Amino acid sequence: MTQLDHGKFTRMTTTFHTLLALDVFVLFFSGYSMMFNDELWWLVGLMGGSTGVAAVHRIAGAGLLALIVFWMLMMVTTGTGRGNFREVLPTRGDIEAMVQDVKFLLGSADERHPNARQFAGGTADEIPLLTYIGKGVVFIFSVELALLSLSGVLIWTKTGVMGMLASKTAAMAFVTFHGLLGVIMLMGVMFHIFEHGFHPAFYPVEVKAFIPRSMIPEYHDEEGDGDGGTGIERLELAPSWNTASTVVGALTVIGIVSVLLASVFDEGYPVPRELVIGGGPTNTLLAVGINAGIFVLFLGLVLQMYGNLLRVRWERQLESEAEEPPTTATDGGRSETER
Amino acid sequence: MSYRKHLPETSGYSSVAIAVNAVIAIAVTLVVLWWASGFGPFYETIFRIDPAVSGANAGVGADWTSGNQIVWLDFAIAITHAADVIMGVFILFMVFLHWGAFRRLAARMRPPGATRESDETVAADGGSVAGDADDRHGRTGRDGPGDDTAPGGGGER
Repeated sequence: MTQLDHGKFTRMTTTFHTLLALDVFVLFFSGYSMMFNDELWWLVGLMGGSTGVAAVHRIAGAGLLALIVFWMLMMVTTGTGRGNFREVLPTRGDIEAMVQDVKFLLGSADERHPNARQFAGGTADEIPLLTYIGKGVVFIFSVELALLSLSGVLIWTKTGVMGMLASKTAAMAFVTFHGLLGVIMLMGVMFHIFEHGFHPAFYPVEVKAFIPRSMIPEYHDEEGDGDGGTGIERLELAPSWNTASTVVGALTVIGIVSVLLASVFDEGYPVPRELVIGGGPTNTLLAVGINAGIFVLFLGLVLQMYGNLLRVRWERQLESEAEEPPTTATDGGRSETER
Repeated sequence: MSYRKHLPETSGYSSVAIAVNAVIAIAVTLVVLWWASGFGPFYETIFRIDPAVSGANAGVGADWTSGNQIVWLDFAIAITHAADVIMGVFILFMVFLHWGAFRRLAARMRPPGATRESDETVAADGGSVAGDADDRHGRTGRDGPGDDTAPGGGGER
């Protein structure tokens, strides 16, 4: 049960991923329109002004708490969850995969390491359930979500955190700490979107996470590909991939750099460590950059909903297959596309 | 059919476990938030931060006089800044690494417009165009993945 050979996500995991993504995106949109409000003024307005944004952030925060507790319970109380936990542990192969990725980029390696392969080629024995990036995402996001939930609960009420930290200023500084913690995740999610949306073999969405590997339409491994190749040569590159990956790659980089710079500029927002006359940066370039990052997040939202759409379509197809008599299943024209 | 055997695995978690854990999770959340609110009603809690309000003394921290004087909190903020920068640079490195890897992978794939059905035609087309295009796509179209390590083509892969 641990080796989910057909793909990475069970139905529950897919649904959970969707809910978590939606919730975290709402937290990002509301939280960072508070922190970077001079760059994302329009987002503040869109969410009902400063009071609306804070309310949205809290409601999404409550949702996140419920989702996290639910997930931890699932991982502990079910066999599948406990089994999958072993798949997350880092191995030496993951380090080797990262080194080999650098070599691959530089041209001194011909293949990516199995622990780096999102591409469906290869058998379940040689390709791990998670890539080294996937494991990193699981670990970093887990730590981040835990710290953010903890600090978020601590600052849930003004009176609570002020009682703990003695002054309103210190309480607000703790809010800053909470916001800065999230910046790592904000940048990581942008990378996550690029990583899973713009692999040339999977563009525009990594369906392996949503449907069985053997049913990925381009998958044609059965015709004697056991000689170490991944079969990627048989796939056709999407006409828009080059442009799309370049544009979104650039937006991702701009977004990451911008939120990083903004988090440094906004130092102690809302309480600066030193007195700053005139407030945060009113830098046009930074405002454009941060909005580029927010656009990447929005794109990720759309892409992952598209992945869910693919899964729903696939499950409907399976259900209709199951109801039909076997004679239909052997129909040549259809079984070709179903695989 | 073979895909039928995938079905049980796609719903690898029992619905009982999902339902029970979901109920527990919601209950725990409510208790945690109730605790965070000092076991009181939710008045006052939702309108805490007013970062975008204009006017004198309207914004958060507008009334601060001495700033954050708590040493450990100042340190926590500083170390989180450092973590942000270190992780940011690392994430940027990963973006560029994978961006580059994706471009190499894309170079191995068939060019847009070459369909699986017209395999031979594509190979012939590939051969007739420029040499580098032939190296990338044409040869692999004919010879398959076994050709990966062939001299001359290796650089492109």
